[in-house]
Amino acid sequence: MSRKRPKLKPSLKEDEKLKAELEKAFGETVKVWIPRAKRMFIKVKPGDHRKVIQWMRDNWDLQHVTSVTGVDKGDTFEIVYNLYKYQGYRTYPNVKTEIPKKDPKIETIVDILPSADFYEREVHDLLGIVFENHPNLERLILPDDWPEGVYPLRKDWLPEGVE
Amino acid sequence: MAVLDKLVTWSRVKSPWVFHMNCGGCNACDIEVIAALMPRYDIERFGMLLVGSPRHADVMIGTGTVTRQIAPRFKRLYEQMPEPKFVMAVGNCAISGGVFAGCYNVLKGLDKVVPVDIYVPGCPPKPEAIIDGVAKLLAKLQGG
Amino acid sequence: MSTVKIPIGPQHPALKEPINVTIEVEGEQVVDGKVRIGYNHRGIEKACELRTYVRDIYLLERVCGICSHSHTTTFTQGVEELLDEDVPRRGLYIRTIVCELERLHSHMLWFGVAGHEIGFDTLLHYSWRDRELILDLLEMISGNRVNYAMNTIGGVRRDISKDMIPTLKKGMDTFRERCEYYLKLCSEEPTVLERTQGVGVLPTHMARKLGAVGPTVRASGVDMDCRKDDPCAAYDEVPFEVCTWDSCDVFARVAVRILEMIQSCNMIQWMLDHLPKDEIRLKLKRRVPEGEVLSRYEAPRGELIHYIKSNGTDTPERVKVRTPTLANWPSVEYMLKGCYIADVPIIVASIDPCISCTDRITFVDVEKEKTWMWDSNQLRRYGIEFYKKKRW
Repeated sequence: MSRKRPKLKPSLKEDEKLKAELEKAFGETVKVWIPRAKRMFIKVKPGDHRKVIQWMRDNWDLQHVTSVTGVDKGDTFEIVYNLYKYQGYRTYPNVKTEIPKKDPKIETIVDILPSADFYEREVHDLLGIVFENHPNLERLILPDDWPEGVYPLRKDWLPEGVE
Repeated sequence: MAVLDKLVTWSRVKSPWVFHMNCGGCNACDIEVIAALMPRYDIERFGMLLVGSPRHADVMIGTGTVTRQIAPRFKRLYEQMPEPKFVMAVGNCAISGGVFAGCYNVLKGLDKVVPVDIYVPGCPPKPEAIIDGVAKLLAKLQGG
Repeated sequence: MSTVKIPIGPQHPALKEPINVTIEVEGEQVVDGKVRIGYNHRGIEKACELRTYVRDIYLLERVCGICSHSHTTTFTQGVEELLDEDVPRRGLYIRTIVCELERLHSHMLWFGVAGHEIGFDTLLHYSWRDRELILDLLEMISGNRVNYAMNTIGGVRRDISKDMIPTLKKGMDTFRERCEYYLKLCSEEPTVLERTQGVGVLPTHMARKLGAVGPTVRASGVDMDCRKDDPCAAYDEVPFEVCTWDSCDVFARVAVRILEMIQSCNMIQWMLDHLPKDEIRLKLKRRVPEGEVLSRYEAPRGELIHYIKSNGTDTPERVKVRTPTLANWPSVEYMLKGCYIADVPIIVASIDPCISCTDRITFVDVEKEKTWMWDSNQLRRYGIEFYKKKRW
């Protein structure tokens, strides 16, 4: 029989302060929610992600990109930028944006945060999303002889049991 | 010449030179192969030597999942080995793909690329199992 | 001075996976370095979407054989967060004890490999012999030396019994003595100091800008450690310090890892003294409600994250794994600029890459259109001879 011990949940005060700062700067263009302490999700439109990330770099001294994740949602691709705020209160903001599958293009953030370089290349390699103005959008992890236009992480592609 | 052949077989059996290649696995089998060389098991005292080039090797140990990029390189290294040569597949991934069987980019075992003489199963096999595998290979060598 | 391009292609006798590093050289100095990875790509993220959560634990354990427990810890705690369940405290403590034991074995493994790279083979043999002590303890707790399969969704699968505790504590005392000996050795032995001090410098601002993680960034003076910043498992209760060093070179990375090993010994002993009397696992339901979670953990090599998205069924929608080595590659490319060819092996090894780099090095003289081949052993020996000549 399972026994549940209630764990004291840490306070969300600091996260709420950061949420208020973001909403003051961007108003209705961002949708912010905090599922638990030290996790913040921010939903923006595809063009606005650069402004939000640049604001975070200038105001919060945010320099660390933990990862860039691409999710295939059927008709759209969702791109999540997992970031890390090191100065002051340490927390993990995640900036999410959605782009249509028929035209998978989004502007890069490498000029704002150089550590996003390899992660954007990986997303391009596996999902086929084009990051505009990226200095070096080459193959990162798939083999050189992998066929062009085949993106393994898309939902409509299934592995055939390679012999 | 029969005497020379016998001498060569004897030296090969007494002191096999081994070349180890990781085909792209998780490294668990590699660290067990190298642990076999370390002071706890120390197979070097039995004459088994790890060499850095396939051109000096009698036995090639292949560990890890065989990815599509590694397969041609592995084949090339196998061709560089002088005759008679033997291949040992260590670990479930080198035998049949292991946990990764069915993934894209993974071939179902080392024997899809080169002929394998001895299989050592395990995930990863303990150094004792690897040493046992080499001993069985040597017995096979001695048999002719 | 003409520029020469040197590709260092896949393979390394000192384990790990294959990578390809191309370096441009002018005389003895490296001008630029580029990394090509992917020889080890197995399509794990795709495979995770086609299997259930429980099967994914066994798959993710084999992403890396050295930090296997880190991957399962991160994954299971992410799924537990999606299910909104709290694991019993004894389960968390045992999970953390195995995590710290894994950190010990991984750092000691790296230490031996680093010694091998600079030509100090005695260090390789000594440190791997000491590592066997930790593997014996892990075998006692979990039944296997590598790939322990301790984690499951809801807790851990095996308990630490009362009679194991004295053996564990004695093992920690012995190991801590050995670590202190290695710290003394590294700070006094001239071979080690010469090959590691001032080599592979990564200044603090560049470490932060390039997104380095783990001991690499802590050796540049930045106190970034997930165990303190975002505590999971039992880390919010165990007392420990984040180890940093200010000299930003390879010696700093050696020092940080040894200090971390000493910290881990203390942490394990504290946890064994304070092990709560409780259950070790909860039986949880198979279908995970819709949601997303970012699960983070400080693996021996750095920050490991799993981004898991669930869709209400018993298979995940998306599992994204970002290993710490991927975060450290841009720092390697930066550090290779301006170093000697002889320093290349130790610089690449200093971030503790989770890849076998067996290398076939092709030297290309662009002007004379000549090529010649060296393998990784020859490059390593070249480095040792180079420094020997420098000394005389």
